[in-house]
Amino acid sequence: MRPRALPTFAALLGTLTLAACSGGGTTQAPKADAAAKPEFSGTLSILTKFAGDPTGPYFENLAAAYTKQHPQVKFELIQETDQSVKDKLKTLTASDALPDIYFTWTGNWADNYIRGGRAADLTAVIGPNTPWGKTFSPGSLAAFARDGKNYGIPLYGNGKFMGYSKSAFDKAGVAVPKTFEELIAACGPLRKAGYEPIAFGNKDGWPALHYLQQLFAYNVPDATLQADFDPATAKLDDPGYITALNQFKTLVDQCTDTKSGTNGVLYSSAQEAFANGKAAMYYQEILEFDNATSAKVKPADFGIFQLPVPQNAAGDGSVLEGSPEGYLINAKSPRVALAVDFMKFVTNLDNAKTLSAPPYGQPSTVVGAVTEKTSSKAVYEGVQLVNKAPKLAIWLDTVTVPEVADAWLAGGEALISGGSTADQVLESVRQASNAAK
Amino acid sequence: MRATLRRTLGLAWVVPALVLVGVFVYLPLVQNLQFSTLKWDIYSGSQEYVGLDNYTKLVDDPVFWSSLGNNALYAVVSIVFQVFGALLLAALIEGVRSQRWQRALRAIYFIPSAISLTVAGLLFYFIYEPNLGPLNHALRAVGLGELAQAWLGQESTAMSSIIAMSQWQGFGYSTLLFAVAIQRIPSEIYGAAAIDGVGAVGRFFRITVPLVREMTGLMAIVTLSGAFQVFNEVMVMTAGGPNNSTQVLGTWLYRSGFVRNNFGYAAAIATVLFVITLAVAVAQLWVTRRRRVEW
Repeated sequence: MRPRALPTFAALLGTLTLAACSGGGTTQAPKADAAAKPEFSGTLSILTKFAGDPTGPYFENLAAAYTKQHPQVKFELIQETDQSVKDKLKTLTASDALPDIYFTWTGNWADNYIRGGRAADLTAVIGPNTPWGKTFSPGSLAAFARDGKNYGIPLYGNGKFMGYSKSAFDKAGVAVPKTFEELIAACGPLRKAGYEPIAFGNKDGWPALHYLQQLFAYNVPDATLQADFDPATAKLDDPGYITALNQFKTLVDQCTDTKSGTNGVLYSSAQEAFANGKAAMYYQEILEFDNATSAKVKPADFGIFQLPVPQNAAGDGSVLEGSPEGYLINAKSPRVALAVDFMKFVTNLDNAKTLSAPPYGQPSTVVGAVTEKTSSKAVYEGVQLVNKAPKLAIWLDTVTVPEVADAWLAGGEALISGGSTADQVLESVRQASNAAK
Repeated sequence: MRATLRRTLGLAWVVPALVLVGVFVYLPLVQNLQFSTLKWDIYSGSQEYVGLDNYTKLVDDPVFWSSLGNNALYAVVSIVFQVFGALLLAALIEGVRSQRWQRALRAIYFIPSAISLTVAGLLFYFIYEPNLGPLNHALRAVGLGELAQAWLGQESTAMSSIIAMSQWQGFGYSTLLFAVAIQRIPSEIYGAAAIDGVGAVGRFFRITVPLVREMTGLMAIVTLSGAFQVFNEVMVMTAGGPNNSTQVLGTWLYRSGFVRNNFGYAAAIATVLFVITLAVAVAQLWVTRRRRVEW
C-alpha cells in the first residue's frame, strides 16, 4: 500500500463508520385509521403461509376476484411455507420492509409485532362488538387481542390430534386408546399387524415440540406452565416436565420404527407413510386432515382422537393443543383501510366456506363456515373438539421466547437421539430461560 | 500540470468502482462490527449499546465452540481428501496411458462438482434417509444391515455424513486442478528420472509433489477458507441438528439471528468468521507470492 493510500483508506473507513452509526432504529409509525373509507387503488402486498399445494391458489383466486371488483387494486403476493415464512418475516422486519398484510401465529410471535408497533390496531373494525368482529368465533378473536385491543384477523382454527386408520386398528384388534398407557400398549399389536404404529418425522425439530407441549399441559399444572413460558417468572422445576419428557421418549422408542433416528425423517415423509397406509397413526393438525386422506387412507377409514391423557397426570387433561392462525396489518402501511377491506372480503362467509372445504381444508374461524356440508367429516369433528376444549395450549415454539423455544427444540432432538436425558434437557432449557431474562 | 490533470481524470474513472466497493463491501463490514456491539430488537427497532458483551457471550457459548470444532473438522478432512487425496488421484489419472481414458476419468470425477451444493445436499438427504434411502437398503442387501442407521438423525453420525457428501462433491474439482498442474510439468523431467531408474512412486514424491507445491498450497488455503464458509449443505441436510451437533459457524450465526432473534450476537459470530477467513486470505496471498515454482 502506498504511503498516501493508507490515510485515504482510513478516512474512507471512518466515513463509512459514521454512516453506519447514523443508521438503525425505526421511525414512529403513523397512527393508522383502520376504519377510514378505503381508496381502491394501489398495490397491496401480502405475505401468506399458503405456498404450494393444496392451499397455494386460495389467495391467488381471491386477489384476482378482488381486482375484478376493484380494477385499480393490484396485488403483490408472497407465498411461503410453514418453515420459510419465519425467516422471511424476520428478514422483512429487520429491514423495515413488512408487506401491508402478513401472516402470524398467536402467542409470543404475534406479541413481538404488537409490542414493536408493527401491527395496526384494528379494534374499531374487528373488535368483538363490531359487525365484522361478530362474524368470528370469540375465542379466535381473543387469541390476537392484547390489553383490550384487537390486532389480528384470525383466518383458520387449528388443533393437534392423533389421526388413525380404522382398518389398521381393526386388523390389529386394538381400540381407540383412552389413556397414554393404552396408546403405548397398542403399538405392539399394530406392529405385529404389519404397521409402523406411529409415523413420526422430526427433521425440523418442531414436530417433537407438538408432542411435548400437549404432554406438558397434561403433566404440569397450568399456572406453573404459564409462568414458565415467560423467562421473567420461569422456574422450570416442576417434576411434571421430567414425566412428560420421559413419556415422549417412551412413545418414540416403542411406537416409531425409526426410534432414536427419528430426527433424520422429514415430517412430510411421516405424513406420506400414514397417507399410504404404512403407518397406523400420525399426530397431525386439522389443516392436514384432508391431505392425509388424499391417498390410500380414505376419509371413511380416517379417525381422530386427542392424544390420550396419562394416568395420574398432575396437569389439566382437558387442554387441547392448538391455536388459530391469522394475519396482521402493517401499522406503517399507507393502505391500512384498503388492507382491512380486502381481509373483510377474504373472511366473508362464502370465502370462509371455500377455505374450509377440500382441497384447502383449513377450518375457518368464521362462524358458520365449517359445517358437515362444507367440510370433510374429520375437519368438522376436529373443529367441534377444538370449540369444546375449555382451553387451548399454544404451540411451544411460538408461545415462549425464541431462545427458550430453541432450547426445547434442541432438547427434543437430543432426547430422541439419546444424546441427553430428560433431566439434562430440562436443565438446558432452564439455562436458556435464565439467559433470556 | 498535464500530468496532474491526467492523474485526476484517472481517479475520476476509479471513483464509481470505489463507491460500489465501499457501499457493498466495506459498509456492510463496518455495519456488522457496529451491530456486534448492540442488543437489537428487530420488532421495535430499538438498539442498545452493549459494548463487547456479545463477544463475552461467545466465549461461554458451548454451541459456538462446537460449531468452530465442526468447521475445523471439516477443514482437516477436506484437506486430507480434497488436497492430498485429489493430488494422488490426479497423478494416477495422468499416469494412465490412454488419452481417452484420461479424459473420461477426469469427466467422471468432475461431474459431482457441476452439481450445486444445495442440490447435492438434497440428493444425499434422500440417500441417507433411514427408511427409504438407498444407503441403508444397500447395506441390508449385502448383509451389513446392522450398520444401517439414521445417518443424519443421530448426533454421532450426522456431521461426518455431511462432510462425506461434501468430499464427494468437491473432490473432482480439486483433482481437475491438480491434473492441470501436473500437465504443466515438462515430460522430459519424468523421462530423465525414468532413465535413472526412479520408479512411479519415486517420481510422484520426487517430481510431482515438489513441482505442484504452488497448486498444493493454493488448494490447501482455498479448501481451508471454504471449510469455514460452509452453510448450504448443512442447512439443507440437518439445519444444524440434531441437538446442534452439526452447527457450523455459518449456520449458528443464522440461527442466532433469524431463529433466536439475537442479531447482535449473530453479528459477533460473523466478525469472528470474518477474522478467520481474512487470516486465511492473507495466508493465501503470502503463499501465492512466495511459493512460485519455475523451471
